[in-house]
Amino acid sequence: MNLKKSLIIALLLSAIGIIAWEMFWRSQDYVPNIDDNKAFWSVQRDRVTNLSPDNVILMGSSRTLFDIQLDNWENQTGKRPIQLANVGSSPLPVFHDIVENTNYSGTVIVGVTPGLFFSTTFPEAEPWAWPQSRVDYYKDRTYAQRINHQLSLPLQQNLVLMSAGEEELDDNIDLKALLKRIKIGERVPEVMPPFYEFGIMTSLDRNLEMTERTVTDTAFANTIIDVWKFFANAAPPPDKEATMAFFLKDAEKFKARGGNLILIRCPSSGGLRVGEDHVLPRKDFWDDLVQKANVKAYHFEDYDQFKNLKCPEWSHLSVEDARFFTTELAKLMIADNAIPNSKNN
Amino acid sequence: MLFNSLSFVVFLVIVLALYYSKLFNWTNKKRMLLLASYVFYGLWNPPLVILLWISTVVDWTAGKRLAVEDNPSKRKFWLLLSMSVNLGFLAFFKYGDFLLENFVSIVNTFGIDFQARPMDIILPMGISFYTFQTMSYTIDMYKRQIKPARTFLDFALYVTFFPQLVAGPIVRAKDLITQFYEEKRATSNQFVWGIFLLTIGIFQKVVLADTLLSGTADEVFGSSKLIHGIDAWTGTLAFSGQIFFDFAGYSTCAIGIALMLGIILPDNFRYPYASLGFSDLWGRWHVSLSSWLRDYLYIPLGGNRHGITRMYVALMLTMLLGGLWHGAAWTFMVWGGLHGTYLILEKLQKQYLPFKITKWNGMFLAFITFSCVNITWVFFRAREFDTAWNMIKSMFYMQTNGEKVLDSFSIIKVCVVIGILFLCHWIMRNTSMREVSQKISPWLLGVVWAALFFLIVIAQGSGEQFIYFQF
Repeated sequence: MNLKKSLIIALLLSAIGIIAWEMFWRSQDYVPNIDDNKAFWSVQRDRVTNLSPDNVILMGSSRTLFDIQLDNWENQTGKRPIQLANVGSSPLPVFHDIVENTNYSGTVIVGVTPGLFFSTTFPEAEPWAWPQSRVDYYKDRTYAQRINHQLSLPLQQNLVLMSAGEEELDDNIDLKALLKRIKIGERVPEVMPPFYEFGIMTSLDRNLEMTERTVTDTAFANTIIDVWKFFANAAPPPDKEATMAFFLKDAEKFKARGGNLILIRCPSSGGLRVGEDHVLPRKDFWDDLVQKANVKAYHFEDYDQFKNLKCPEWSHLSVEDARFFTTELAKLMIADNAIPNSKNN
Repeated sequence: MLFNSLSFVVFLVIVLALYYSKLFNWTNKKRMLLLASYVFYGLWNPPLVILLWISTVVDWTAGKRLAVEDNPSKRKFWLLLSMSVNLGFLAFFKYGDFLLENFVSIVNTFGIDFQARPMDIILPMGISFYTFQTMSYTIDMYKRQIKPARTFLDFALYVTFFPQLVAGPIVRAKDLITQFYEEKRATSNQFVWGIFLLTIGIFQKVVLADTLLSGTADEVFGSSKLIHGIDAWTGTLAFSGQIFFDFAGYSTCAIGIALMLGIILPDNFRYPYASLGFSDLWGRWHVSLSSWLRDYLYIPLGGNRHGITRMYVALMLTMLLGGLWHGAAWTFMVWGGLHGTYLILEKLQKQYLPFKITKWNGMFLAFITFSCVNITWVFFRAREFDTAWNMIKSMFYMQTNGEKVLDSFSIIKVCVVIGILFLCHWIMRNTSMREVSQKISPWLLGVVWAALFFLIVIAQGSGEQFIYFQF
């Protein structure tokens, strides 16, 4: 047995295989992307500890992630916000965590996506369980997990093959995702349409942008729209009473210690907006929430500059529109003295 | 720290660089290994290193006293002290909530309305492994079967040696401590073979257990519905493969890493799914635990020295406690009880219906054994008896309108993986990977090795914890 010879052969063949694999996926228009996983989120959550009150924290669902561009916000306000929003999530567990487990008394901007904000307080339901799992992970993460995350970042930033995602999207290229794409027969009917990645992480503090393809390729954008339709049809009725009660209790506590709470409603369009207006009418949900929370609030329908913004896949803004939306929203808030303006101080 | 993580790769490279550098003499190398082992453990939860220290100091002191003490009652005291501390840790950290829950249930059955809040005690990783390992030292010292460790450093390293600290193999003092007395360096062949074993172990964990099997097992056992028989069998087979690859993968990594340091650890798995009966199974599955249970529980309980009935009682008690060792739940006791029953039935068969095992009926017997083992895994994997019972009903078609939860590809994938696993175990049952690798060409071994590594890379394991860490 010549083990050293075997090792050299293995190293050579592995290197060839891995390089070929990377090149193949790059030729398929894949680019390196950082996975927005719980470890990545926890780094931002950790920044909230001992954070001074002149800061801004963003939370909400994917609309807050896509539509608030951190560079533009920083350009307008002079302070880079901390992004704690999570895709497909209610903001309630994260806000609750900040209220209960920190002394932070600065500004918190909560994005209200009606279908998620008013969805549920049931711990097992996905819009709650997903953000709660991140809160729990942050609390329980080990030093080894922190090191693993830091070591994985340069790999994720530079290698396409390191693109396994926590969300397990249908265009992931890890072995499990590739095997999942093999379909034989129809033993169990496929209920959910395929869900592809349509965002790209452009900074280490979780700035997310919509991909160019989503804007230019209508057929691709339609695959995302199909997923929203699926969720809209599968979602149980909203639980306004429980969600409002939960949120308002935290809101009161946060305000009582000097916290500045702001609500925003980011744009939606097409059939999704029609559906939202039908199932969660503004008057009954948003207006009622704003009135009971008694905080500053910004609904895109109330401002001429936002009324004509169109979401390519009905729910999120293209990066250009997101930059515009962020800039204008920050200007509005500064004009209202709703947020601190470090630039002028 | 997990073997299948980037931090471990960095950790191992640093440890190997320091170990093979000329900076340290042997004593300092052992100190470095000890410190590295504490770092390895502490990066999970630093305060719980204190438990390791307590266990180490208590057993070192007890061992030292037992080496010089002749007074039987004093010897017993030192043994009991060691057992009390180690079993006390286990009772508090692992079984605290379980004991409390059962106490509440018993009190409630007598009509007393008493509720207790769960203690929510964190389970220190690998506590069952290192407490059993240190106890074996004190018990062997008590029985005067071994000599005391020469230095505290040797003993502390025996308790804490990072490759096998959190999930075994549970190594006996005579097999490991003595290796620390003389300087160890891996030969180049040992070192490369160690890397190969590490590759095999991580492949088993990341590719076979986590990528190919865990999803199917989770889907079936996580289903709240009454499921179809095919789905129930597929989920059970998937878990059967998952737990083997997960645990054997860890042991293989541990053996490989130790070998890279020139330290030999014993085999923990010997192709168990091709076992011919259950005595054979327990000589092949988690060998270091089954031999521990045999030497420190079954034999002290009487073994086969006091007649057949006593032997059966000892056997059953050993397996029940072996089940409880795996987890604080009644389902684990049932798992152990089933294995105890199988072993008793096998002994009865050998007594009253003996037959010769040939190559023709051997594979059939292995298949029957494997099938029976699968039934026990249902109780091991299910968190609740209701889930387990529903699974058993589905597997034996005792309910007809079960729901289909798995797609055809998942079923085919699991059947192919488990079929290959069974055949590999059958082919390999009387040989070893080392022997096979010596017979094949270096080119073929290199190609296989590259394929394994490539699959590990593209599987991109998300650092899933090994199942046995929780035991």
